Amino acid sequence: MKHIKIIATNTICKEKGTGCGECQTGCQSACKTSCTVGNQSCEQKKTNRSVKVRQD
Amino acid sequence: MVHVYECMGRRFLLDVESGSVFAVDELTAKLIEKSSPSAEAQGDFSRYTTDEIKEAEAEIESLRKRGVLFSPEPDHPKPTYKGVVKALCLNIAHGCNLRCRYCFADDGQYHGKTDYMSESTAKNAIDFLISKSGNRKRLEVDFFGGEPLLNMDAVRATIDYARSVEKAAGKEFRFTITTNAVLLTDELIDYFNREMYNVVLSIDGRKEVHDSVRIDAAGKGSFDKALENALKLVRLRGNKSYYVRGTFTARNLDFAKDVLALNDYGFGQVSLEPVVLPDGDPLALKESDIEEMKAQYEILAEEYIRRRASGKEFGFFHFNIDIYNGPCAAKRLVGCNAGDEYLAVAPNGNIYPCHRFDGIDDYIIGNVNDGTFSDKLPQMFATTNLTKKEECPTCWAKYYCSGGCAANSIQICGNIVKPYKIGCELMKKRVECALAIAAIESENND
Repeated sequence: MKHIKIIATNTICKEKGTGCGECQTGCQSACKTSCTVGNQSCEQKKTNRSVKVRQD
Repeated sequence: MVHVYECMGRRFLLDVESGSVFAVDELTAKLIEKSSPSAEAQGDFSRYTTDEIKEAEAEIESLRKRGVLFSPEPDHPKPTYKGVVKALCLNIAHGCNLRCRYCFADDGQYHGKTDYMSESTAKNAIDFLISKSGNRKRLEVDFFGGEPLLNMDAVRATIDYARSVEKAAGKEFRFTITTNAVLLTDELIDYFNREMYNVVLSIDGRKEVHDSVRIDAAGKGSFDKALENALKLVRLRGNKSYYVRGTFTARNLDFAKDVLALNDYGFGQVSLEPVVLPDGDPLALKESDIEEMKAQYEILAEEYIRRRASGKEFGFFHFNIDIYNGPCAAKRLVGCNAGDEYLAVAPNGNIYPCHRFDGIDDYIIGNVNDGTFSDKLPQMFATTNLTKKEECPTCWAKYYCSGGCAANSIQICGNIVKPYKIGCELMKKRVECALAIAAIESENND
């Protein structure tokens, strides 16, 4: 595409089987005075979860 | 819902519900803005040819058909309370060797008297966590204070006890300690680097900034000792997780310099948080400071990209959004889960929704020593997720902050559903920068 460059698509995973709760609690990492969730990582990412990214 | 914005001289587009991220040209940005229901101006397209406009419109339409642009909001499940706890903040010491001027914990004493958690209370907290953890395997315990190093006997006893019971319980404990680093010794560094999954070291940036607020009881700055000890710990830590975490206040609104200073000292993983204080405190951030703070994040983002491109290790906590492997939608609805899956325990065993509520009687949930536990507050916290907060459901950044910090909402705004405006504005700017960084670094790596 000429006007739009796709960086990543469908990055918010809504697949069945997610929401396991095994990921790190945000406040345990570094913030302690804000709520920062977007930068947490999925514990399942290397197992049964596949996010479709960077197509095209 | 979509969000189109400019950052570091480039234009980016976020499809909120799918989390799709695009770099776009000016024409596309204008077309997207024009399509917004709230757009007042129709935009000036006179410099573009009809063919160019049709071409860009076709690209937008193709992405819409693929479901990655203007994607609809799904029917989120109704928030429910499951009564599962997976993380505890152990306020192991209500006391501190420092007297930081902005301390929300009242010089570490949490509005009470100096107190230290006993080994038996700490063990009861571990038993409480295991008993409430349901089928969660990974359990997190954060040693917090005050200054946890003032009560190392209890820290060691907690870890020894948790390790002795975790296998039989089918659990795996991950420990974090937050320290001002002043009292670190070689032996403690070795112990922390062996036992702690994460270490958070409190340094505020430039020496003059740090020493103006992080002082000891005699009023002397703590920078030199904290830096020396923290560097020693980090150099010996290998690849294990750590953060050097500071706080900025109204006195250093040019805080990008402090983040960069921390990186210059030799710290690869850095966080700097805006102070949260009530109006009227001389260090409190004001709404009139917001634009200046936003500009600082963009200055930081540009230098961040430059340093990383040169091969320097540099992670800034709020820019570390992993757009490819981030949390699932379920996690993004509940955020930090304070008051529900994440609780805090005070030295006397009292249980609170999180460390920010420690010492506030209205927020006592129970006590790990006498076994009391009331579901009332956890139910309230668990069912007040992102979808229940004011303004948040229509905010483009909702899946990155998850409705913000409940303690800020309650303590600054008086209601858990009311967003804390300064926090919101800074969070949105950080997310814009983080997504732009991810896009630019992705392009640079192609």
